[in-house]
Amino acid sequence: MGLERADDAGVYLINDDLAIIQTVDFFTPIVDDPFYFGQIAAANALSDIYAMGGIPKTAMNLVAFPINQMDISILKEILRGGIEKLKEAKAVLVGGHSIEDRELKYGLAVTGFVHPKRLLTKRNLIPNDLLILTKPLGTGIVATAVKAQLAEERLVRVVQETMAELNKRAAEAMASFEVHACTDITGFGLLGHLSEMVEGSGKSVELWAEMIPVFEGVEALASMGLIPQGAYRNRDFRKGMVEFAGDVPLWLQDVMFDPQTSGGLLIAVSEQHAQPLLQELIGRGISYARIIGKVLEDPSQLIYVRKNG
Amino acid sequence: MVEIDCKGLACPGPVLKAKEVVETQRPPTIRVIVDNSAAKENVSRFLGTQGYDICVETAEGSFCVIGTKKGEDIKEPLARENTKEAGKKILVFITSRTLGHGDERLGNALMLNFLKTLKELPNLWRIILLNEGVKLASDEGESIAVLKELEQSGVSILVCGTCLSYYNLIEQKKVGETTNMLDVVTSLGVADSVINIT
Repeated sequence: MGLERADDAGVYLINDDLAIIQTVDFFTPIVDDPFYFGQIAAANALSDIYAMGGIPKTAMNLVAFPINQMDISILKEILRGGIEKLKEAKAVLVGGHSIEDRELKYGLAVTGFVHPKRLLTKRNLIPNDLLILTKPLGTGIVATAVKAQLAEERLVRVVQETMAELNKRAAEAMASFEVHACTDITGFGLLGHLSEMVEGSGKSVELWAEMIPVFEGVEALASMGLIPQGAYRNRDFRKGMVEFAGDVPLWLQDVMFDPQTSGGLLIAVSEQHAQPLLQELIGRGISYARIIGKVLEDPSQLIYVRKNG
Repeated sequence: MVEIDCKGLACPGPVLKAKEVVETQRPPTIRVIVDNSAAKENVSRFLGTQGYDICVETAEGSFCVIGTKKGEDIKEPLARENTKEAGKKILVFITSRTLGHGDERLGNALMLNFLKTLKELPNLWRIILLNEGVKLASDEGESIAVLKELEQSGVSILVCGTCLSYYNLIEQKKVGETTNMLDVVTSLGVADSVINIT
């Protein structure tokens, strides 16, 4: 893969039947519970492999830890969380590296396998494809509300569990359908990542705002201005590519730019396979999956956001 | 007029400071000084939800968000619960398109009759439609009119969003509010009694 267009991970072709995918991701804690933080960091790192149609095989830990200020048991819990997710992914931890740092950071470098013909990129949106999103949006807004101590405990729990969920089942569901392109939703938000797909494919997209899954309770938090700075950065970077219809509420516009941690897959699938794939996803327990928009022939590389479909 | 200086504060700090002042003093005019554009937008959104008209002045290196109260406090809590709050809460939980399992025509007719008769049930609080039950709110049958009538009389009707998606009926839904499993479980817990139609 060249680097001129964005993609989820690096790909190296070994022979006609095998390519490897490599990716690395780490960040500072986004939840208080160290075991959950470990799980979320691992789910987030593994996600790029799934988004490219691959299967994770090996992983290495990356740790920065303030050993003089924090108890080592915290680190143990984080690593235990990471290993738990690697087990679920059937990937092997083969090593790692740790340094002392003032601020705690954790993540992983992951290597996966993919058959070159099954490799999924962001660049292949085809007119009339439908777009499916597999996890609800709003993790950045909820994290901001947590800092403000304004997030309900129940909401925080649901968001935490969703972030820790691997995109493995969604990726497995995709395998038997005509999927043309895929990415995972992380720091650039839904519209940022979709912009990369649109640019990479030279097509345009129509989104149906009311179909987009959002965590329950996020509307109130977003309306009262608990929006992370990253959401505004994402918007300022991509606003030239996005046209909102006048009746799309501001809070929902903000949510669509909200940076996500360990977000869901955004899947472009042929029109006739969209409903069967959606049923397969829901049948596998991915109950928030929704069809949220459609690829247009229009070569102007824009995203038109309408209120409904 | 109240002025708060939030320079040097990162989000969500400025919103929290503004919130504290609005809640304790309820000033008719409030000026919030911030030094980054994310804080400017967030404070504007917050004051907007509190019933203020917003205007922003840009100075060198800072912004001043000015909120002016639009008359008396307009903000009311979301009234979603119905008027029967005080009495017993009866929840009808419907997970099937037909009433009973036998001949389909009979089952459909019985279900329609059941829904029509539900208005005779005192303290009916909420109806939840799940699995094939969502078809009652979205196909061409007569059940839609009956459910609409119940909704108008104050009964809350929740329709499972995942189920609508699965059966490709999101756009066909004509009555009720789309819901998720969390609401379903909470409703089951809050109800004084649950009538189960499977």
